[in-house]
Amino acid sequence: MLLRGLTWLVLFQLLGTALNHLFIPVLPGPIIGLLLLLVYLLVCGQVSEPLNEAAKGLLRYLPLLLVPPAVGVMVYAADIAADFWAIAGALVLSLLISMAFVGVLMQRLLKPHANREERP
Amino acid sequence: MSVEWQSALQSVIHHPLFGIGITLGAYQLVLAGYEKTRWIFLQPVLASMLLVIGVLVSCGLTYDEYRKSTDILSILLGPATVALAVPLFLNLRRIRQLFWPIFTTLVIGGVFATGLVVLLAWWFGAEHMVLMTLAPKSVTSPIAMLVAEQIGGVAALAAVFVLITGVIGAIFGPPLLNLLKVHSPEARGMALGMTAHAVGTSVALHEGEEAGAFAALAMSLMGVGTAVFLPLAVTLVV
Repeated sequence: MLLRGLTWLVLFQLLGTALNHLFIPVLPGPIIGLLLLLVYLLVCGQVSEPLNEAAKGLLRYLPLLLVPPAVGVMVYAADIAADFWAIAGALVLSLLISMAFVGVLMQRLLKPHANREERP
Repeated sequence: MSVEWQSALQSVIHHPLFGIGITLGAYQLVLAGYEKTRWIFLQPVLASMLLVIGVLVSCGLTYDEYRKSTDILSILLGPATVALAVPLFLNLRRIRQLFWPIFTTLVIGGVFATGLVVLLAWWFGAEHMVLMTLAPKSVTSPIAMLVAEQIGGVAALAAVFVLITGVIGAIFGPPLLNLLKVHSPEARGMALGMTAHAVGTSVALHEGEEAGAFAALAMSLMGVGTAVFLPLAVTLVV
C-alpha cells in the first residue's frame, strides 16, 4: 500500500522533472509535480488510500529530510561571517515583520467570512 | 592494540551509513529532548543540524562526504514536496471559499516580505551579490536556489539563508502570532508557510491539519509566484 502511494509521488515528480527540462526551466521539478498531482486529485475528486498513506508518512518526516541540506551551513561559515550583521539583521527583522504582517492581514480579511458563516 | 582501534574508528566514520546514522540519531535525540522539555530552541531542524555539524567537525569529516552519504534523504525531499498536494487538496473546499483573502494576502504579503528584506539588507550595507541572494529567502530552497542564480546571487548561499529564515520562523513565529492574537489556523498557516516555507509548514502541520494545509498552499503559491515574478521584477528595476 505504502509502496504504491510512493510510486505515484515519484512518478509525478519525474513528470515534473521532464516538464521542467522541456518547457519551464524557472520552476523546479518537485513544484511542477506538486501542481500536477493537485490537478490530478481535482480531476479524480478524491485521494486514494495508498497515496494518502504515503503522503502522510513522508510529511511526518519532513523536518528530518531537511537536516542534510541544513548542515551545508558549515561550508559557508566564512562568507556569512563577513557580512554577518547585515545578513542577520535583515533576515530576522524582515521575517518577524512580514510574519506579523501576513498573519494579521489574513486574520483581518477572514473576519467578514467568519461572520457570514455564523449567520443562519 | 591502539592501532587497531584507530583503523576500526576510521572505517566506522567513513562508512556510507555513518552520515545517515548520525542524522537519524541526532534527530531522534532532539525530538525526545523536545518532548520532555518543550524548549523552543530545540527546533528539530536547527538542533539536529548543530549536533550533526558538531559530530562532523570532531570526526574531521567534510560536508561533501556527509552530503554523499545522506543522498537518500535528500532524494526523498522531492516526493515529500509533491506529497504536499494531498493536504492541500483535502482542504481545498475551505480554501476555495476563502479565495479572495488568500489571494490578497499572498500578493500584498509576498511583495512586502521580499521588498523588506532587500531594503533592510541594502540599508545595513550588504553588497549586491548578498542582496540578490537574500531576495528569494522566503521560498523553498530548490526555487530559491534557482531564482538566486538567475538574478545574480549564489545558489548554495541562498539555501543557507532560506534555512536560517525557516528556523527563525519556526522558533519565533508561533509565539509572535500568539502575541498578536492571530489564532485562526488559516491565518497562522498562511503566515508560517509564506514566510518560513517548508520549515514553517512542518511547524504548521504540527499545530493541526488545517493550519498545515494553508501553510502548504501559501508555500507553494509563494514559491511559484517568486519563481515567475522576482526575476521579472529584478530585470525591470536594475
